[in-house]
Amino acid sequence: MHPGPLAASDLASYLPVGLILLMAVGFAAANIFLSRIIGPSRPGGVVKGQTYESGMNPVGTARKRFNVRFYLIAMVFLVFDVEIVFLYPWAATFPNLSPGTDEGLVWLGRIFFFLFTTVVAYLYGFRKGVFKFD
Amino acid sequence: MIDRIEFLWPEIALFVTTCVVMVLGLSRRIESRRMTALVTGLGLIIAGVLAARTTPIPGPRSGQVLLPELIPYAKVLIASVGSLLLLLQAGTVDRAEEAAIAAGQRPYDPLRTNRAEYYAFFLFSLTGLMLCASADDLIWLFLALELTSLPTYIMVAMSTGRARSREAGVKYFFLGALGAAVFLYGFALIYGGTGSTNLNAIHAHLAAHGLNLTALAGFILAFLGLCFKIAAVPMHFYAADVYQGAAPQVSAFLAFVPKAAGFISILLLTATIGWSYAADAQGPLYTPITQSAYDALEGAVSMGLPEPIRVFLWVIAALTMTVGNVLAILQKSVKRILAYSSIAHSGYMLVAVLAGPNNGTFSQSGLAAVLFYLLVYGVGNLGAFAVLACLEGRPDADGEPAEIEDVDDIRGLWKTRPLLAWVMTLSCLGLMGLPPLLGFFGKLPLFTSGLAAGEIVLVVILGLNSAVAAYYYLRLIKASLIDPPSDADLPATPTPFATRTLAGVLSAAGVVVLAFVGGGLMDRSERAARYTSMMAVAPPPPPRKTPYVPGDDTPFPLPIPIGAR
Amino acid sequence: MLHQALHLLPTLAAAPPAHADSGAAATPGGQLLMLVPALCVLAALFSALSGPLKIRSKIPGYFSVACLAGAFVAVLLTYLGHESGVKIAHGFEWITFKWGDGPGQALTGNFAFYVDSLTLLWMLFVTGLGALIALYSVEYMADDVGLGYARYFFAFNIFVLSMSCLVMADNLLLLFLGWEGVGLCSYLLIGYFYKKPVAVAAAKKAFIVNRIGDLGLVLGLLATFVAFGTLGYDPLFAMIRAGVDAKGAPIADSWVTDVIPLLLMAGAFGKSAQVFFYVWLPDAMEGPTPVSALIHAATMVTAGVFLIARMYPLYAADDDHMALSLVAWCGAITALWSATIGMSIFDIKRVMGYSTISQLGYMFAGLGLLAPTGAAFHTLTHAFFKATLFLAVGAVMHGFGGQLDLRRLSGVARMRGFGIVGLAMLVGSLNLSGVPGTAGFFSKDMILAQGFSTPASMIEAPQAIAWVLLLTAGLTAYYTFRAFFRVFTGPVEYLPGDDEHLLEHGRHPKGTTLAEWHKQHGHGHGHDHAHTELTGVAARRAHGRKDFDPTTEEFDPHPPGWAINASLVICALLAIAAAALYFVKTPHAEEGGWVGGMIERSSAAFHSPHEFNLLGITSHSAMYLVSALVGLTGIAVAAFLHAPKGWQGLFLGSRDTAATSRADALTPRLGRVARWARAKWYVDELYDWFLVKPLRGIAYVSSWIDKLLVDGLVDAAGALPARVGRVLRPSQSGVLHGYAAGMAGGVALVLLLVLIVLN
Repeated sequence: MHPGPLAASDLASYLPVGLILLMAVGFAAANIFLSRIIGPSRPGGVVKGQTYESGMNPVGTARKRFNVRFYLIAMVFLVFDVEIVFLYPWAATFPNLSPGTDEGLVWLGRIFFFLFTTVVAYLYGFRKGVFKFD
Repeated sequence: MIDRIEFLWPEIALFVTTCVVMVLGLSRRIESRRMTALVTGLGLIIAGVLAARTTPIPGPRSGQVLLPELIPYAKVLIASVGSLLLLLQAGTVDRAEEAAIAAGQRPYDPLRTNRAEYYAFFLFSLTGLMLCASADDLIWLFLALELTSLPTYIMVAMSTGRARSREAGVKYFFLGALGAAVFLYGFALIYGGTGSTNLNAIHAHLAAHGLNLTALAGFILAFLGLCFKIAAVPMHFYAADVYQGAAPQVSAFLAFVPKAAGFISILLLTATIGWSYAADAQGPLYTPITQSAYDALEGAVSMGLPEPIRVFLWVIAALTMTVGNVLAILQKSVKRILAYSSIAHSGYMLVAVLAGPNNGTFSQSGLAAVLFYLLVYGVGNLGAFAVLACLEGRPDADGEPAEIEDVDDIRGLWKTRPLLAWVMTLSCLGLMGLPPLLGFFGKLPLFTSGLAAGEIVLVVILGLNSAVAAYYYLRLIKASLIDPPSDADLPATPTPFATRTLAGVLSAAGVVVLAFVGGGLMDRSERAARYTSMMAVAPPPPPRKTPYVPGDDTPFPLPIPIGAR
Repeated sequence: MLHQALHLLPTLAAAPPAHADSGAAATPGGQLLMLVPALCVLAALFSALSGPLKIRSKIPGYFSVACLAGAFVAVLLTYLGHESGVKIAHGFEWITFKWGDGPGQALTGNFAFYVDSLTLLWMLFVTGLGALIALYSVEYMADDVGLGYARYFFAFNIFVLSMSCLVMADNLLLLFLGWEGVGLCSYLLIGYFYKKPVAVAAAKKAFIVNRIGDLGLVLGLLATFVAFGTLGYDPLFAMIRAGVDAKGAPIADSWVTDVIPLLLMAGAFGKSAQVFFYVWLPDAMEGPTPVSALIHAATMVTAGVFLIARMYPLYAADDDHMALSLVAWCGAITALWSATIGMSIFDIKRVMGYSTISQLGYMFAGLGLLAPTGAAFHTLTHAFFKATLFLAVGAVMHGFGGQLDLRRLSGVARMRGFGIVGLAMLVGSLNLSGVPGTAGFFSKDMILAQGFSTPASMIEAPQAIAWVLLLTAGLTAYYTFRAFFRVFTGPVEYLPGDDEHLLEHGRHPKGTTLAEWHKQHGHGHGHDHAHTELTGVAARRAHGRKDFDPTTEEFDPHPPGWAINASLVICALLAIAAAALYFVKTPHAEEGGWVGGMIERSSAAFHSPHEFNLLGITSHSAMYLVSALVGLTGIAVAAFLHAPKGWQGLFLGSRDTAATSRADALTPRLGRVARWARAKWYVDELYDWFLVKPLRGIAYVSSWIDKLLVDGLVDAAGALPARVGRVLRPSQSGVLHGYAAGMAGGVALVLLLVLIVLN
């Protein structure tokens, strides 16, 4: 069921949303302020001022250059990732389609078109040389 | 939903072409790579032919029903201007790389070339633009708009090898994201205010219940966000920097494609609101008024957009054209002049949006005026940018030729490159709206539709602005056609890409020829602007001056959510 | 597209012509004449394109000749197929303004031709002479082959096009288009040598003086429309024939027949260089000579005559013929006035120019004296013999480096290659002087005879006009033969002119330009000084040598080639043959021969009364004798004063060098009169003092007002956008977050305003 139209005065129905926003902001602000006020402040020591890196000593600068391939692989991964994300809800819905109509065919066509775009993306990545690990 | 496919063949053709181009552009063989542009053009032509063969069917099957004839006109326009733009794109990317490969300095490395991506983005953007025209739903419209814009961000960044282009691309991206956020917020509020994302349903709701505050805020935000696409105040800041940073052929693309997307979207949105509201409507709602009710009032009120939206568009239009023109006057860079003039042209077109369909004839319909002016502006603007794209300065250390940008650089073009001088002259005269040329026949309906809608003051502002605009256009003409060549040793030399010149000559010829043989185009745009409002058949509005009673909502008459069939 | 555009402008809505050309005898036909403008346009386009196409040959010239000849053939064929009555060749709807359905509520100007015998008469000599003179120009302009050639022939063809529109128009609006078109071409061609300041000034003068006359024409057109509700000849003439205006009121004694003819007359006088307006024509001689021949002698300047002849029904409809009297008197005074100037100046081309003004005066006098046939006949004969004269003068000018001073040329006819020129000049001079048997004699006679027979009840003092004209005839014969005897007969002597073309082509020897010659001898340019000096130089160069061989001298005269000679011969033959037209028997008219037949069949027909009043013989017979006597006397005086000794000077002359003649001794005795006449009666100076200078003063004052007040306002308005732009410019800083802040701030502001203020 779709939501009914909201009239001008119904701007008030957005009140809960506003309240949640207010609470979120307030919670975050309160935490920062409270820790400032309540928490002890004892600056000093080299180790204490260091960047926290899972308990290890930080090595080198944070502005390190990564190999561009790192990003490429991340993006190619994303292609398949997104594909899976879309395929799950599709697969979950497909059995519930009304039988006896051609609706199933339409849905099949749609997902094939979607897969086709994924294949094109893959093909593109392949020709671009993303999968060359030399 | 499957029915809609038959109206989407042009987009599908473009998409398939995109897939082919993306792979073809990465071929090892130079011959195959060279085919990329050709295939792109083929795809555009096929899409154009398919669009021309589309016959709109009245009713919800073909999508939105308010502007039923819009689809074929808009898509054919997009395909044809797109083809012209394609001619201009020759050699934009990979020029130095291909030269190095041909010279045997480097082997072919797909990671170093951009050809496939460039043409794919080009087509993606045009696909998005066509989808805008097909949109019947806010979500569809949003996705189409983003598909139009996203590729352009990258096209700007990769159009030249210079840092300035990257900077422009990044600026464009961030500000574009902000703009998109604004109109997405607006779409959400429209949904909130009317209960649907379907344009027909929104219209039906507005026709029956009037415009409430939520929807009003939504429309205002949506328009503001779309102002980014058309580069209108207050979202115009990016235009000059981005146009200047991008290569001229990409600037030409930016000046047409996002603008067309923006105006088509604005037309669709204003069509859902409709132009039949009594101007003096009282109360919290802007109640629509049918023609019969209007007639009963014997012209005591004038009809138009709901007052807040009318005033909003009025102010935006006036500010946009004024700001664009006064800033253009001060510029030395041709690209910035054209960028600001592009802002001003958006302002001109907003006048016609404001005017609405009136009686639907070409001379009175603002919608027809906008649709026709898109063509006029697209052709004229393309010619002016083509001149810049056809020229280049001496190459720098990286072999990247310097860009021709300053007005001084095109001085004395009549002596060195007479053809380009004439292209510049005709394009500028066309953009200026000089009588025998196409620009005049484009601009006249802007005036007449505004007058027909009774917007006298705005039309006067439009006239004054046209006069101001003549200053900088004449400056360009003077530089290229009258001034002696600058004494520096020939700053501008021609590019080796003949198709760019061809694009310029074709658009300059268009400015002249279409003015004499373009009567059919006027008829087409008049037909494309046919506006079928439900307001004529809507139930009579609640008696005027009766306060609105909250909770009095009748069940929504036409709920057509997506995929609910 | 045009259709659409018309939709956009509601006032321009296309409408059917309000007055379907009804009544009268006009029938569709004469479509062949559409070829004339078409061919002219074709030739003009080709000429114009030959410039950018870098055609560096005489092709555009020959092409124009071919096209104009084609146009002539089209006119000729139409003439041969023309019996009588009026045909209207409809081209296309040109202008339609409509603001109602009633009569006089639509202004239509169709591109259509009104083909009657008057039109054909004019068209025959316009296109015929056009083709001939184009042929002459092919050679005359040969030095300018290239861009100048293209420019020349473009303007030439556009001229013929405009003249055809003027003559063939079926309404006054199209006539006006042609009228302005010929004015423009005249301007372009007078200023053809645009590097010469004199030529540019002359072009401007011609244009401006014509504008003043055109104001009258425009007002006349408006008045015609107000009175008759149409500008088409056919409905117009129908109403005039019925003697009523559009409202049905009689016109004979109303303002219609007084005001409109006077206004049209102002336009006609401007174009045809009559009193007050004539000053532009002598200066127009700065243009290339073929142009002077075609435009400023044969065709364009007769446009005024044509206008009055075309609108003759309106002139004749007046009960007291007030306008016609004025036309006659102005014509006669102009004729006499310019003849006196022609007698005294030394520039032979300008002599021809003043002679043209004088002869145009004859034509107007003829129109005014109710002799339209005489006027038309004189127009025709004058077109041929004056063209001949100009072409001959042009050949001399072409050959002697632009020399035109009759004191610096002598015996040209006897020089190698100049025989045809001399003969042609003689033919033209005989015609102009009205020697019995020539065409000019008969045409002049028709006007004179009518002058003596028109009753004083119809025109103010016609006899006085006739006497003035008769006196003018004598003066004409004198100045014509003065030029002829001085330049073409006598000992062979010459001093070449300082024509730039010759200098450029290296044909002009060093140190022989007049300017340099004068510099060497320490004298100014003044005519009076030059005169005495010339005796010396002429004597130095060629005194007494009959075997003068130009080739051994410093300057090489340039005899005319085949094209010039051919057109000269044809023109001269036509001038001779025109006399035969007088004896052509035609069933349409009792007198006037062929031309009489043409005029009688046209709207200009007027049955002039033949009142006998001279010594008991018919006025024509009397005039034959009197005018022959006057003409021959003039020639004899010219011979006595200017001719060389021996048979060349009819045994009357005494001149033995280029510059010594009996006139030189006589002139000082005339004192001031001669000096004033030579100074053209100081008319230019008078105009300068009483019109140009005051106007310039007003212009000066208003230019300051314009600069300070108007420009100040405009500048302020113009500076405003730039000022605003400067204020706005900092917003375009290029900083990303600045832009984002601007956008977000703008969105917030707008939203707030809309939701709070507007709600």
